[in-house]
Order: sequence, then C-alpha cells, then structure tokens
Amino acid sequence: MCPGEHLPHPDAGRRRFLSGAITAIQGALGATLAFILGGAVASPALGTRRTDWWPAVPLNTLPPDQPTPVTIRVTREDGYSQVVDRQVVFLVRTGPSEVTALSSICTHLGCRVSWDATDQSLKCPCHGGVFDRTGAVTAGPPPSPLETLATRVEGEQVLVQL
Amino acid sequence: MGRLRPLFDWLDDRTGFRAGRSHLLDEPLAPGVGWWFVTGSILLFLLAVQLLTGIVLTMYYVPSPEHAYDSVRYISDQLPLGGIVRGLHFFGASFIVIAAVVHMLRVVSFGSYKKPREVTWITGVVLLLIILGFALTGYLLPWDQKAYWATTVTINVARSSPVVGEYLASIMRGGADLGALTLLRWYATHVFLLPAALIAFVVAHIYLMRRHGISGPVRERAGEPQPFYPYHALKDTIAMAAVFALLLTFALTVRVPLDSIADPTDATYIPRPEWYFLSLFQLLKYFPGPLEPVATIVIPGLVVGALLLLPFLDRSPDRHPLKRPLIGAAFVLLGAGIFSLTYLGFKDSPAHADPSYWGPMALAGREFATDTRCAECHRIGGAANPIDNTRVRRDPEWLLGHIADPEVIAPGSRKPPPGSLNESQARAIVAYMSKVRAGTTPPDVTGDTHTAAMIYGRFCGGCHMIDGEGGHQAPDLTRAGEERDAEWLREWISNPEEVDPLADMPPFYDRLSEDELTIIANYLAARK
Repeated sequence: MCPGEHLPHPDAGRRRFLSGAITAIQGALGATLAFILGGAVASPALGTRRTDWWPAVPLNTLPPDQPTPVTIRVTREDGYSQVVDRQVVFLVRTGPSEVTALSSICTHLGCRVSWDATDQSLKCPCHGGVFDRTGAVTAGPPPSPLETLATRVEGEQVLVQL
Repeated sequence: MGRLRPLFDWLDDRTGFRAGRSHLLDEPLAPGVGWWFVTGSILLFLLAVQLLTGIVLTMYYVPSPEHAYDSVRYISDQLPLGGIVRGLHFFGASFIVIAAVVHMLRVVSFGSYKKPREVTWITGVVLLLIILGFALTGYLLPWDQKAYWATTVTINVARSSPVVGEYLASIMRGGADLGALTLLRWYATHVFLLPAALIAFVVAHIYLMRRHGISGPVRERAGEPQPFYPYHALKDTIAMAAVFALLLTFALTVRVPLDSIADPTDATYIPRPEWYFLSLFQLLKYFPGPLEPVATIVIPGLVVGALLLLPFLDRSPDRHPLKRPLIGAAFVLLGAGIFSLTYLGFKDSPAHADPSYWGPMALAGREFATDTRCAECHRIGGAANPIDNTRVRRDPEWLLGHIADPEVIAPGSRKPPPGSLNESQARAIVAYMSKVRAGTTPPDVTGDTHTAAMIYGRFCGGCHMIDGEGGHQAPDLTRAGEERDAEWLREWISNPEEVDPLADMPPFYDRLSEDELTIIANYLAARK
C-alpha cells in the first residue's frame, strides 16, 4: 500500500491485535477438534492387523512335497464385531517335521489361487498367474512370489501364523 | 496475501465474497452490547460440536438391536479417541440444554423478545423443543438398559394422551413392540429429521437476529456503534473457548455411562431419565391414574404455549426487567418448580447398579466355564470361539439349553460331552458371559468370598436370584441379610424342614461341609 493512499484507521493497531487473538483462539479450538475427530476417524485405518498362531491340521495328514489346501478358521475383531474368516493356505511338507505355508492370495490383484495337480502348479483364475510349489512366479502378471507364512509344528499339530 | 491478491480479486469478482464477509462481520452493534450477548454464540458453537462429533459417531454406530450396544461399547472402550468423541457428544447434550436455558433467560431478562422480535423468539422456542427432541431420541441409541426402559416410559407417556394416544405410541414404536423398527426410526429422526429442522430454524433465527439487529442493553446508551468484528467477536470467541475447555474436561475425566445391554425381560431395572427430563418424570408421580395427562400433556403444553405466546402476552414497550414484575415472577416460579422437581427426582432415584460389579454368579461362572467339556469345541481354531472371547448373542434360555446338552441345539454336528452342568452352574456361566460382553474385567476375589461365590454358583443360583442373576423359583437373595441373620440362614440351609416343616427347599447338610455352611450363611447375612 502506498503511503497516503488510505488514512490509517485510528483504531487500526487495536483491531489488528484483536483479530490476531480471535484467529489464535479459534485456530486452537479448530485444531483440538480436528485432532480428536480426525484421530477417531483415521485411527482404525492406521492400526496393524494382529497375528496369532492358528492350528491347521495334524502333520501326518500332509503328503510330502505336495501343496495341500487347508482351511483355517481365524477369529478376528472387525470393529465392534467378531468375524470368522475361513482362510485357505497351502501347506507343503518339506521334511520330516518341516512345513512351509503359502498364502492363497495372488500377489497380482488378490484373487484366490488353486492347486492344479496335473500341471503341478498353483494357478490364479483371474489373470492367468501361475506359481510353482515354492510360490515362485512361473507365468503371468504377478509381480512377486506368493507370501510365505510362518509355521510351527507342535507335537503332531501344524500351526500357522495368520 | 500479496501474491494471491489477483486470485482473490478474481474470486471476489465472480462470487462477491468480500461483500458477503463484510456483511457478516461488520454489523454495527449498539453501544453496551457486552458479555451478556455471547450466549447465542456459545449455543451455536455447541451445536456445531454436536454435529461434528455426531458425524464421527455414525461412522461406528450401527442402529440395530443386535449391534447397537456392541458398537457403542467399541466406540467407548476400543476406538482410539472414541471415548472422548462420545464424551463430547454425551456431555455436549447437557451443555446445550443448559446453554439454551441461559440464552432464553438472558432474552427474557433483557426483554429482547418484544416487538419487532416476536418471530425471532418463536423460532427460538421451537429450537429449544428441537434440542429436547435430540436429547430424547439420542438416548435410545446405545440400546442399553437405560435406553430401553427410559424409551418405554417415554412412549407410554405419549400413549396416555387423550384420543390419539394409542396411535401416537404406535407411530413412535414403529410397530406393536419396542424393537428394531423403533430403534431405526428414532435413529433416522436423530440424524436426519432433527438436524435438518435444527439447521433450518438456526438459519431463520440468525437471519431474523440480523434483520432486527441485536437488541442491546435495556436502556439505550450514548456512544458510537461498534462493528461486530473484532470487538464483540473476541468476546464470543473467548466464551466459546471457555465452554469448550469445560466440556473437554468432562469428556476427558468422566466416563460416559453404559449400562448392560437392554433386557426386555428384566423386572429389576428402575429407569431414570437424564437430568433434564427428571422434573417431568417426577411430575408424573403427583398425578396418578386418570389424572396422568395433566402431568404429561396439560402442564407441559401450557408451559410451551405460554412461552410461544410470551411476546403477545407482554406487549408493553419497556424492556427493563423491574418494569415487568409479572413476567419475572412467572419465570422465577417456573424455574423454582422445575428446580425443585428435579431435586426431588434426584432424591428419589435409587442407587444405580454398577455394571462393572461382579456378583457371585458371574464369579463362579468364570470358573465353571473352564470346564474341559466346553473346551472340546470352545478353543482357538475349534468349532467355536473360546468362551472368554465369545460375545453372547443368544437369550439365556438358549444358552441354558446349549450348556445342558449342546446336541439339542446343533443336532448331529457334535457329540454331547459326557455329563452336564447343573442349572445353577449353567446360569452362572450365562452371568459370566454377560459380564464379558459388558467389557468388564473380573475382580480378584479370594478367601471366603470366593468360596461363597462357588457354593452359590453350584447350588443356589438354579432357584435363587442374586444381583439380577439366577433362577426365579425361590426368593431373591440380593439383600438376604436384611431379613435374616447368619445363624438362622445356616440352620435353614442345612435343613429347611427343621425350621419349617412345609419348606420346599431341599436340605444341604449332606452336600456342604460345616465350614461351607458357615461361609455361605455369613456371606448371605452380610448382604444388606
């Protein structure tokens, strides 16, 4: 503003101070509300999913070196409710008491893969992704191998971490 | 703002926002408009807080009898910051009722309702009714005992109105009984209908306030008018911040109550409304039977009618409160009436059962539930969830049948475990599970209290109710010690027929040791 363009309001300094005070207080009020409300909206989205060990099948039911689909009942908290997820994992017995577990979720776009015994491969029905028995990609669009899940053998029982 | 100036100039050219802002902020206020005139802004701010917290709550709340309670429990106990959001909304309701009354009293004492502001006043009275409507519809939503029973009373109050009562009650219920349809329509009213009405009337109220200007002090003062911004706006802002600080303190330090889940069969629950409806509730007690409509319709109707007509009843132009003694006296009388009724209502309220209290049945049930027969199915990865991680969704009769013989409930699917728990133990497990659902942690109980709880859960709970849990065939033992002492109880439990030859109760001297008889008798005698 050029000097003399407007005569300064006699009260200009006081007005500026009061305006600043209003902005500061209302800003603090707004920030507090935004933190509480935004936090309550965003927090469940930011939480990580809890994992647990779930019993799958007895070890002796698994044929050696052959991916076997096993359905595991996973109870999990879904907001206010409890849901039972029936998750399918492929268990491969790789030794006398060693088992690897492959997730059945295709790494491309999340469809469910299934074991094709004639081709000896895991196939995704959606876009033709193909994985071998170790979970490595052999054909199709999947960008990475199937996720390997932690396993543990306790007595005769195979446990999978989900 | 320097560099953005061309952008704002363009925006102003297209929208005229600068003129709008200056219309909003530069309103000239009469000299002497001081702190008394911040009450409306406080109310507006509190309503905005309710609207915002309400929107967040609807992201987690489910309006169905199966899920409402659990979803509110989730908001309160599990959702990060959820307890504070619910606290702001819950205490905010009380703050609004208080702020609305204070605002109204300010308007009455300053005579601000007088010509030409009659319609402003009427929209204000309607807003007060809308606010009370919010409060009324809001507390059914958690679907806990208080919600269910207070709403039952509310609907029955509507039913008592002459001629249309039955129809009115049916419309409020949405059917023949209080249930899912009731919850949904109260929810829809609370989150769609009333907010729409509220916003419409707030806009009208503020428009009319601006149209006639702020009434200002009762006697005109000399001096220049001052613009609203920043002089009065700062007062408003400081008042809002102070009220919000107080509200936040409540939300942070006081736990919002949530009773146990609504149980339509519970005969022991004594409903009490929120404090702002307590005076009406108390009024009911003085007009029994056919006179009830006097308390439910006539008196509240007269008060609301008088409020609506106030600017036409008091038409003298003088705004000074001392020049209007009749109006002053009427409001003092009304205030004193509401205040004393509320006070009497509070005095009459029974001590509220603490939902986190564990009675002997729940304590014993916790141990019965570890029975290995249950764990055949109720285990991690098993056919059913572990019992301490199961939310009861069934009624007690189903659960009792299930505990007595699981195959009855799920034929063919599983082998019934050998043997079964007796009815008292089954009821104890049901009591335990309802405590688990209420999200309360079990207290650490040892010694005689623990022994007594185990005896009670094993032998007594099949027939005798205690703390609202157990069978119905025999007398309630919640306050057994008020009528009998330990010695009498011990003799009676040992062999009732020796005390009264016609007694129905079986003797327990052969099932309980001498020590156990003493412990359970002392335990019951101490309950007063």
